[in-house]
Amino acid sequence: MAWIAKNSATMQIDSRDEPYLDDTLKQELESQILTRYPTRRAATLPVLHAVQHRYNYIPHQALEEAADFLNISSAEMLDTASFYEDFWLKPKGKYLIMVCQSITCELLGHDRLLEKIRDKLGIEPGQTTDDGRFTLITAECLGSCDTAPCALINETRHEDLTCENLDQILDSLD
Amino acid sequence: MTLEEPVLCKRIPTPPWGDKRDRKLIDIDAYFDTGGYDGLKKALSMEAKDVVGLVKAAELRGRGGAGFPAGMKWSFLPPEDGDRRYLAVNCDESEPGTFKDRLIVDYDPHLILEGIAICMHACRLDTAYFYIRGEYHQQAKIFQFAIKEAYDNKIFGNESLLGRINGQVPQCYMHRGAGAYVCGEETGLLESLEGKRGWPRIKPPFPAVSGAFGRPTIINNVETLALIGPIVERGPDWFKSMGVPRPEGVSPMVPASYGPKLFGVSGHINRPGIYEDGLGIKLSQLIEVHCRGMRNGKKFKAAVPGGISMGVLGTDEYDAELDFDIGKKYNCLGLGTAGVIVMDEDTDMVAVARNLARFFARESCGQCTPCREGTGWMHQILTRIEAGDGTTRDLDLLLELAGSMGIGPGTTICGLADGANWAVRTIVNKFWGEFESRVRKERYVSLAVAGP
Ligand SMILES: Cc1cc2nc3c(=O)[nH]c(=O)nc-3n(C[C@H](O)[C@H](O)[C@H](O)COP(=O)(O)O)c2cc1C
Ligand code: SF4
Ligand code: FES
Repeated sequence: MAWIAKNSATMQIDSRDEPYLDDTLKQELESQILTRYPTRRAATLPVLHAVQHRYNYIPHQALEEAADFLNISSAEMLDTASFYEDFWLKPKGKYLIMVCQSITCELLGHDRLLEKIRDKLGIEPGQTTDDGRFTLITAECLGSCDTAPCALINETRHEDLTCENLDQILDSLD
Repeated sequence: MTLEEPVLCKRIPTPPWGDKRDRKLIDIDAYFDTGGYDGLKKALSMEAKDVVGLVKAAELRGRGGAGFPAGMKWSFLPPEDGDRRYLAVNCDESEPGTFKDRLIVDYDPHLILEGIAICMHACRLDTAYFYIRGEYHQQAKIFQFAIKEAYDNKIFGNESLLGRINGQVPQCYMHRGAGAYVCGEETGLLESLEGKRGWPRIKPPFPAVSGAFGRPTIINNVETLALIGPIVERGPDWFKSMGVPRPEGVSPMVPASYGPKLFGVSGHINRPGIYEDGLGIKLSQLIEVHCRGMRNGKKFKAAVPGGISMGVLGTDEYDAELDFDIGKKYNCLGLGTAGVIVMDEDTDMVAVARNLARFFARESCGQCTPCREGTGWMHQILTRIEAGDGTTRDLDLLLELAGSMGIGPGTTICGLADGANWAVRTIVNKFWGEFESRVRKERYVSLAVAGP
């Protein structure tokens, strides 16, 4: 988690001319999100969610723009963004497969799912397929222990998984 | 069975009263049609402080893990000063083994919104933030829609039935988390709400005095708030007819275990799921009656009573009563969230301990050294023992490490470390023989004693 030191001080940031937070997005956030909180900084999580929703990850330039937008320093923005595991500061696959590794899922055989994915897609937890379609990670309890083992693929929860139905689910993704 | 009728599952078909397959989302019309928001109407006809008094009289204890009396928490708020005050609803639900709040959000979100509205009226809170864990995507959509329905029906917003609170329009907003267990800790949640990393705060000041944005704030669990409507509608005596009273001779200051409770059961059983019953139901009853027994005819070995932070119940504790007294009686941390994880005779307890230690090591926020370093060490030691490379000294080290971290021993800021402490310590202690048989019995001779 957050206490793993990151070498951000020496990092080069890719930049592009076109802003990530364009005027439409900013206006939308200003009228729908910022009005909810007594401080601008409180909108940090919703703004990061919105950026990630649009770009599938949060580029560093977008972090700086979001910091400017919320009147906080880039350091404060990075501090928050790097703390939360759901925020991706580097690109991830089109499909993010999160296999639960907490206790009930382990008791009921989550390791078979990881093996299946290793065999089928050739990736270990933390890796992305070469074609950029799948990223695999392990997750902690997804709040679905009665239907363990389970996994989240992007926003969809898949329950009572076996190697067979996982295979079908992966095949059905475009 | 100790409950005559379902309370939290009134509109959510659940065995033995209904069939899971009949579950569907109760929208606001269906909610109104089945007596919904009657509790709110009654609360609005009462003085705010009398509503707090009623919740106090019901002796409702928090369902988020700590079991703190809700009415007492509400009465810690300072007098109104005309400025803003907040409600933070805890739907972070990330404790392994816990999935009960999701059931209410999935099917009966207005039961929660009614509780939120009553709490705002009773405690004079103008804005509610519903903090939901990031992984609950579908649930966030369902709840966002329910919030909209509530605005359209004048529960919140400009024409709210609540009128004006602290001179403000009563509002209810959703705030999505982003994958951090520690944000379920109430002050970690507040930091996250303020847009910061979810580092729990040192207490005091308590949130009721200085919480979100430095203002008085009440934080309650989803299930706690879902019980408020029924309590206001039907009264404290009705609520106290369920669950178990204080043991005889105990001071009335000690809170009892009244009311219904959702038990989320998973693991090696025939019918996992969520069941509603009175507090105090025996673990054996829960497994045999509600869950239709152990899977594949296996024998019971161990169970986590309520989320892994509580530690485990051993093989001889199969008949443990699941109420808020469980910690004292059965040497575990407490009832927690009542997310029960059942393990059969084939379960490797060393592997279980390793799994739990890994969870805490991953989720520690890193502020306190005993937790940041200790959880990682415990994971390493347990991995070593599991691989067959452990020694007897590792077991001592493990127990010493575990016992040294947490609010209990006074070394950390928040309760995450107590969870790691109890999880590891109770497994090692209650299954000592199994651990001992997995390590090499080496004698270490201290050089200081042996001399040069
Ligand atoms: C590490 C940690 C994680 C927690 N996670 C949750 C959670 O996910 N949901 C919850 O309601 N309470 C959680 N709690 C308990 C809260 O701190 C708090 O006691 C609770 O939300 C208060 O609500 P209640 O009084 O209605 O139970 C957690 C506590 C700790 C120490
Ligand atoms: S006990 Fe652990 S999780 Fe809690 S504040 Fe300290 S380091 Fe963070
Ligand atoms: S342990 Fe996997 S969903 Fe809870």
